[in-house]
Amino acid sequence: MNNSKARIIDKLYLALIYLFFYLPISVLIFYSFNNSSYSLVWHGFTTNWYHNLFQDSNLWIAAAHSLLIGTLAATMATIIGTLAAVSLYRYRFMGKNFLNGMVFILIVTPDIVMGISLLLLFSIANMPLGFWSLLLAHITFCIPFVVVTVYSRISGMDKNIFEAAKDLGARESTIFRKITFPLLLPAIISGILLSFTLSFDDVMISYFVSGPGFEILPLKIYSMARLGVKPELNALCSVTFTLTLFLVILSQRFTRKSS
Amino acid sequence: MKSDNTFRNISVSLISIWLGIFALLAFLLVVLLSFMKNDSTTIFSWQFTLDNYAALFSSLYALVFAKSFYIAGACTFFCILLGYPFAYILARKVERWKEPLLLFLIIPFWTSSLIRSYAMVAILKTKGVLNNVLMHLGIIHHPLQLLFTNSAVMIALVYNLLPFMILPLYANLEKFDNRLIEAARDLGAGKIKTFTKIILPLSLPGIVAGSILVFLPAMTLFYIPDLLGGAKALLLGNLIENQFLLTNNWPLGSAISVTLTLIMGVMLIAHWLTSKNRERGDFL
Amino acid sequence: MKTWFLGILVFLSVPAFGAKEIVNVYAWSGEIPDAVITQFQKETGITVNFSTYDSNETLYAKLKAVNNPSYDVIEPSSYYVDRMRREGMLEPLDLSKITNIQYIDPEFLNGDYDPQNKYSMPNLWGVTGIFVNKKYFDPATIQRWSDLWEPRFANQLLLLDDVREVLPMAMMSLGFSANDSNPTDIKLAYEHLLQLRNNIKLFVSDAAASIITDEDATVGMTWNGDLYRAQLDNPNLVFIYPKDGFVIWVDCFAIPKNAPHYQNALKFINFMMRPDIALQSSMAYYYATPNLAAQKLMPANIRTSSIIYPSHDILKNGQFQTDLSEQSLNLYAQYWEMLKLKM
Repeated sequence: MNNSKARIIDKLYLALIYLFFYLPISVLIFYSFNNSSYSLVWHGFTTNWYHNLFQDSNLWIAAAHSLLIGTLAATMATIIGTLAAVSLYRYRFMGKNFLNGMVFILIVTPDIVMGISLLLLFSIANMPLGFWSLLLAHITFCIPFVVVTVYSRISGMDKNIFEAAKDLGARESTIFRKITFPLLLPAIISGILLSFTLSFDDVMISYFVSGPGFEILPLKIYSMARLGVKPELNALCSVTFTLTLFLVILSQRFTRKSS
Repeated sequence: MKSDNTFRNISVSLISIWLGIFALLAFLLVVLLSFMKNDSTTIFSWQFTLDNYAALFSSLYALVFAKSFYIAGACTFFCILLGYPFAYILARKVERWKEPLLLFLIIPFWTSSLIRSYAMVAILKTKGVLNNVLMHLGIIHHPLQLLFTNSAVMIALVYNLLPFMILPLYANLEKFDNRLIEAARDLGAGKIKTFTKIILPLSLPGIVAGSILVFLPAMTLFYIPDLLGGAKALLLGNLIENQFLLTNNWPLGSAISVTLTLIMGVMLIAHWLTSKNRERGDFL
Repeated sequence: MKTWFLGILVFLSVPAFGAKEIVNVYAWSGEIPDAVITQFQKETGITVNFSTYDSNETLYAKLKAVNNPSYDVIEPSSYYVDRMRREGMLEPLDLSKITNIQYIDPEFLNGDYDPQNKYSMPNLWGVTGIFVNKKYFDPATIQRWSDLWEPRFANQLLLLDDVREVLPMAMMSLGFSANDSNPTDIKLAYEHLLQLRNNIKLFVSDAAASIITDEDATVGMTWNGDLYRAQLDNPNLVFIYPKDGFVIWVDCFAIPKNAPHYQNALKFINFMMRPDIALQSSMAYYYATPNLAAQKLMPANIRTSSIIYPSHDILKNGQFQTDLSEQSLNLYAQYWEMLKLKM
């Protein structure tokens, strides 16, 4: 009796927190289809706000830039991160612990510190802010997450496989191509997807290293959000949210497949 | 055999060079700059000084530090308060639907916190959802002025960062050996005693890990005070942003960032100490 | 391995889009409408990279921080034109290319901040006054800046996030000039502002219009154009020209030193001064235009609106913002930062 009561309270508590997580964003999506800007009352279904969005050519350019940066950054970060995770697991080399620690620290470092560090680096290197500065920055902050994702998969693998392959005379690059890569594929894909979402949603670091001539979507959303709540922005946020939602779910499926 | 090292060498040097330049060197430059003199026309001049750090101890900046600690601390506290029971129930009481529940927890962890903050603005504003609902229900007659207050900042911070507290806690509580609790019960410990003497100390690494992930962003996510806070919500993140993009005092901004990193260092050491005897790497 | 090299090759060849004509415009947010930019691109084939700032200080910081500037057109306020001109940050304008100068009200030309308009062209102007939402407060009881110090406004005031608006406001309420450079006066103004701390709800600049419309702030300081725009959606709003004086500002186009696309920048500025375009940008956010030909094209209710185009009698009370010495500017900035930190 007491136990079932406690169980109901447990469930209620979970439900409340999930409500807290999802209600605000659901409200936003709801409003993006409401034929009125603020009123709580349903004024009828409309896709007008989305229609307005699609006509905004500046928005499209920013979105295209974000997709470009996201794709390139995710690819590069995954290549570097995967190789790093494999090396960290398989090889002994000088500074291994240091590298390990750095990856771990980079994950918890506040974004703002990374943002100003890179701004300073680019500024001293006399490098104009724009496409390249953004890309380099995005690759950098994605790498640690790829390393962690891939490493957690590879550390579950049997080290003997590699030894056996080596004994049979396989070269390291062959081992990577024929054994490591296929086995790690789910984790690699999940790393790419997560890197892409990170890059696609990043505000803090991009805010410091972006320049004129290359606007990206999150910064556009930020400057719009500062100007107040608007139905078009609700629609834009809903679209962006849905896209990341889709990628996160996809990436989780690959992660689960790998574990 | 020699050529066999090529793959290894390429892999290792790629990551080392990349992080060496874009993370380590970049940060060392910040450290260096924090000891330089400010110069409003050329950003900085090559003169060693401790003034930037001394300024941080002046009452003005100390005030912002204190305020940031207070808000971030309160935010961390609320995240533990709300997140601990949640993680506990999810990790130890739920049997069915664990997978989807976990997925729904991970989603807010990975999606844009800017968009979620913007959603909070739409909820809290004078003509926003919350006021509309409360007025409709007749609970209030005049709209509450919530937006641009410290409470709004706090609500948005907790909303944004709660998943970052829950996930490490969950990871920690899930791995936990049930036999310890049973043993405690067998030895006659009550529910409260079992919790305070066994469960809580063993989940301390999770709490510390979660606190790192909540406390630091709470001070530095400058767009949250920017979107929801009023004139009184100037946190460390805003201060750094201002030094770099508004007042052009990069050395001072660097000094604040270095101090922030030191705080992170202290928290990481705390994490390392609490999880010393246990399995490492349960961070994320 | 081959696919990798291919991937890297593709990756390296991506930003090869530098071939087309471009102009990088960096302007006040809420002063150049998208439609105008689109039209410029259509007519000239020049791609506009448009970004915005919300304070002169941000613009100034950006130009100082980036060693190789990529901006071609900027839009500082008049007193910043003066400062940047003085510091050699601006490129002189080739006036022979700016034919549309003929439409500009002579009163806005040849100002002290830029004699003979060697460096700048006026784009929009306005005044900074008081707004009140009459649902919350009676406008008749608020006629001067000094009224804002009353305790009934606790935690209500919206102030512009701009040192050259807020400190002058305090100075005028004390009876000083809006461009006062006397250190004791500046200090007094700062101390006066400290007493206002309790009443200040937020500092904001470009976002003010929507905040005022949505009643997230009910009384405070605003630009006249913003208030006009807000009023269209919320008729409870009232604009007041403070009796103790107010600031008049002019935002001007200029070209920063070493702009990479100087000729396109001139084309852009001249385009913005064409009557039909000046009309569009003025009507988009309801700031006043110094373009006489554009004014003639305006609907009567705008041209005669006392909010946007105040009469000479009212304007007598206003003061143009002027440049200050480096010393005074530093003092202003110092007190401004202290005020914000002490909030």
